[in-house]
Amino acid sequence: MKDNTIRRVLAFFLLISAVLVAVAFVAVRNINRSAASSDWVNHTHAVILEAEALLSGLNAGDGAMRTTVMTGDARDQAACREALGSIAEHLEVTKALTRNETAQSQQVHDLESLVNRRIDFIRQVLAARQSGGQEATRPLLATDAGGETMREIQRAVEKLKDDEMTLLAERDTASFAQAQTTRWTVWLGVALDVLLLGGVAWLLRDDIAARRRVAATLHDANVLLEARVQERTAELAAANSRLSTENLERQWANQALEHQLRYNQLIVNSINDLVFVLTKAMNVSRVNPAVVRLTGFEPADLVSQPLSRFVRLAPGNGETEEPMLDPIQQALKEGRDLRDRPAVMEDKRGRKTAVRFTLFPLRDGDKVVGGVATLQLAPSSPASPR
Amino acid sequence: MTNHILHIDDEAPIRELLAQFLTSNGYRVTSVDSATEAFKTVKRDAPDLVISDLQLEDSDGLEMIERLNAMLPAVPVILLTGVLFDAQVARDTLGKKVSCYLEKTTSLGKILEEVKRLLKP
Repeated sequence: MKDNTIRRVLAFFLLISAVLVAVAFVAVRNINRSAASSDWVNHTHAVILEAEALLSGLNAGDGAMRTTVMTGDARDQAACREALGSIAEHLEVTKALTRNETAQSQQVHDLESLVNRRIDFIRQVLAARQSGGQEATRPLLATDAGGETMREIQRAVEKLKDDEMTLLAERDTASFAQAQTTRWTVWLGVALDVLLLGGVAWLLRDDIAARRRVAATLHDANVLLEARVQERTAELAAANSRLSTENLERQWANQALEHQLRYNQLIVNSINDLVFVLTKAMNVSRVNPAVVRLTGFEPADLVSQPLSRFVRLAPGNGETEEPMLDPIQQALKEGRDLRDRPAVMEDKRGRKTAVRFTLFPLRDGDKVVGGVATLQLAPSSPASPR
Repeated sequence: MTNHILHIDDEAPIRELLAQFLTSNGYRVTSVDSATEAFKTVKRDAPDLVISDLQLEDSDGLEMIERLNAMLPAVPVILLTGVLFDAQVARDTLGKKVSCYLEKTTSLGKILEEVKRLLKP
């Protein structure tokens, strides 16, 4: 977007510069033309002035000639010659001014013939006056009756002036047209540049607006991202805190269970009665130290052995010595307690000791999974504590 | 101002776990392993709450709690022990000596609830 805008702005400025150069070029060219037109105006006026001065000089010479004819005064003759002298000068200037204009140059050439002829006539009159007096001039002046030559000269000068005025009008029109062209060119150039500058301004405004939109979108995205990061961070912190707490809880539970287990173990081991933990099949799975101490068996000799190998209930009243069904197994099967029943325990050396037998079924939920048998030595037995 | 809790237990793992948990919940915890250290701490920096085990190496926990009650009559005491009493027995026999009786198998969350309850202004 940035590169495109810069390229477009540069293109606009190049176009504006081109328009400015074109306007300047056209304006300078038209100013030059206007200056040339102004020169032509001056030139035309100069030609007209010179033609009028020529005619005026000729009239003055002609007048002085007639005065000299009447008076014969040398001063009038001198004035006549002076006037004739200025005519030649004006004629040369007029010729020089119209040198580059074919039609005018031809007109001046014709005028020169007429003027020279008149000057010659005036000189002839003056020479006749000087040599033969007033009478001698009469035939000459008679040939000029009516002043035809002077009228021809006047017409020629008027024609030259009219042509020059016509040219002047044409050049004025051309000059005005050029001025108008210059004005239109300048105003068009200015208008075009203003339009182009407006285009640049619109382009820049559009670009700035686009940048602002992008910045606003970016800002919104950043705010949203920041909020999400904070939210996620808070979630992670909460999860971490929860995990830490759960971890501490687990460690605490393990520690408490271990402590409790050790404590219960100490309690069981401190009991002086014989404790047998039994499986459901009446096999020994664990004993307390009192069993080892009082029977002489090692734990390895006892574990997995049937309890009946070490303990038997004493037969009750009316019972045979070998009942059909072991009452301990029957009680365990039925989930019943047997409390304080007389029994006989046999130690490693085969000695028999009278004990009091108690059985508690071990339950896991509503199922009997084993039992705990405790043997309390009868007070009269030799191994009972004293 | 954070509340100061004095915890007395002869088992180091128990002390460390409970101290870590209570500290993470904004309490200042002093953990000691004997009654002797507990009395020293009480004299130096009186606690707002006492949590004690029952069986200590150098003293009986209940005797120590009686002495602490005499020294700090307004400070509540939690008895946190693995020696299992029957709940009714515990209430009947220990209710006058301790503010609360908890087994060591009690969860930390429950212990925290009791701490907050006892320290509520």
